[in-house]
Amino acid sequence: MANLETGKQGIWATLRRPSVKYSMLGLLVVGFVSGIVFWGGFNTGMEATNQLEFCVGCHEMRDNVYQEYKYTIHYSNRTGVRAVCSDCHVPKDWTHKIIRKVKASYEIWGKITGKIDTKEKFEANRMAMAEREWARMKARDSIECRNCHSFDAMNPEIQKKTPYKKHMEAKAQGKSCIDCHQGIAHKLPKGFKKPGTEEEEE
Amino acid sequence: MKKLIITAAIAAIAGVGYAGPVLALDVEAAKGVIEQNNCMQCHGLRKDKDGPSFMKTAEKYKGKATAVDEIVKHVTSGKKVKLADGSEENHKIAKTMPPNDAAQLKNLAEYVLSIQPK
Repeated sequence: MANLETGKQGIWATLRRPSVKYSMLGLLVVGFVSGIVFWGGFNTGMEATNQLEFCVGCHEMRDNVYQEYKYTIHYSNRTGVRAVCSDCHVPKDWTHKIIRKVKASYEIWGKITGKIDTKEKFEANRMAMAEREWARMKARDSIECRNCHSFDAMNPEIQKKTPYKKHMEAKAQGKSCIDCHQGIAHKLPKGFKKPGTEEEEE
Repeated sequence: MKKLIITAAIAAIAGVGYAGPVLALDVEAAKGVIEQNNCMQCHGLRKDKDGPSFMKTAEKYKGKATAVDEIVKHVTSGKKVKLADGSEENHKIAKTMPPNDAAQLKNLAEYVLSIQPK
C-alpha cells in the first residue's frame, strides 16, 4: 500500500502511516489488551518451564538428580513444604530469571548432543556441573536458599546447639548457605571434600 | 598316608581361604556418606573436634564383635552424645541414598573402625 504523503510503498511505510480508519481509543484498547495477552502468555510459558514435571521430562534429570532429590528433606518432610527444582535453581526476580533461562539454552545444546545422556557421562560431568551451580549460587549469596531460610529466623531453642553455633559463626563471617551446604538435595560428586574439613591425609 | 596328607593340605588351604561372605571395605563410598552427612564438622579422622576422632572410636571398639552394629546404631538412632565442652546433644542421624541402606551404614562403620594411628 502506498503512503499517501510520500507515495512510498512497503511494510515500513504502512506501519508509519497514521491510521485513517481506526480511532485512537480503539488502537489503544487493542494494543493494551494484546499486550496483556502476549506478556501474560510469555510469562505463563516461562513459568511452565519452572515446574518439576518439566524438569524431569528429560531422562537426564529424571534418572539421576531427581531420584536422589526424592530421598531428601526438600522433597518430603514433616510439614509437607516442598522445594522443587526451580525454587533452588532459578532466581525468582524477573531479570535474573530471564538471564538464567537464556543461559539454560546451553543445556538444550547439551541435550541435543547427548553430553550427559548415560549414567556414566552424567557422573563424569557431575563435578563440573555442581561447581558451576555452586558458583552461581555463591555469586548471589545463596538467594534461592534465603528465599525461605534466614539466619535471623533460626531459633536457638529449637535448633541443635552445634548447628546453631556454626550458623552464627557463618553469619558473623559473612558466609552464605552454599559455603557449607553442598549436596543437600543431590549426591555430592565423587571425590568432593567440603571446604574447611580438610585435614591429615590417610 | 600320602593321600591323607594331600587331603589334609587341601582342607587346610580351603579352611584358610574361607572367611565367610565378607565384602571388602569401600573407602570411597564411606567417604561419600561422610561428606554427604557433614560428619567432619564434628569429627576428625585422627583429631578430636566437638566429637571424638574416628581413630579414637576405632580404639574404643577394638576387638569388639558388636563394634559395627554399635556404630551403626550410634549414627542412626539420634541418641544423646556428650560434646567436647561437656554439653549434651542428640547425634545427627546419618542419611543414605536410598534411606537406611544397611550396606552403606555398615561400610561407614567399618571405615571408622579402620582408622589407625599414623
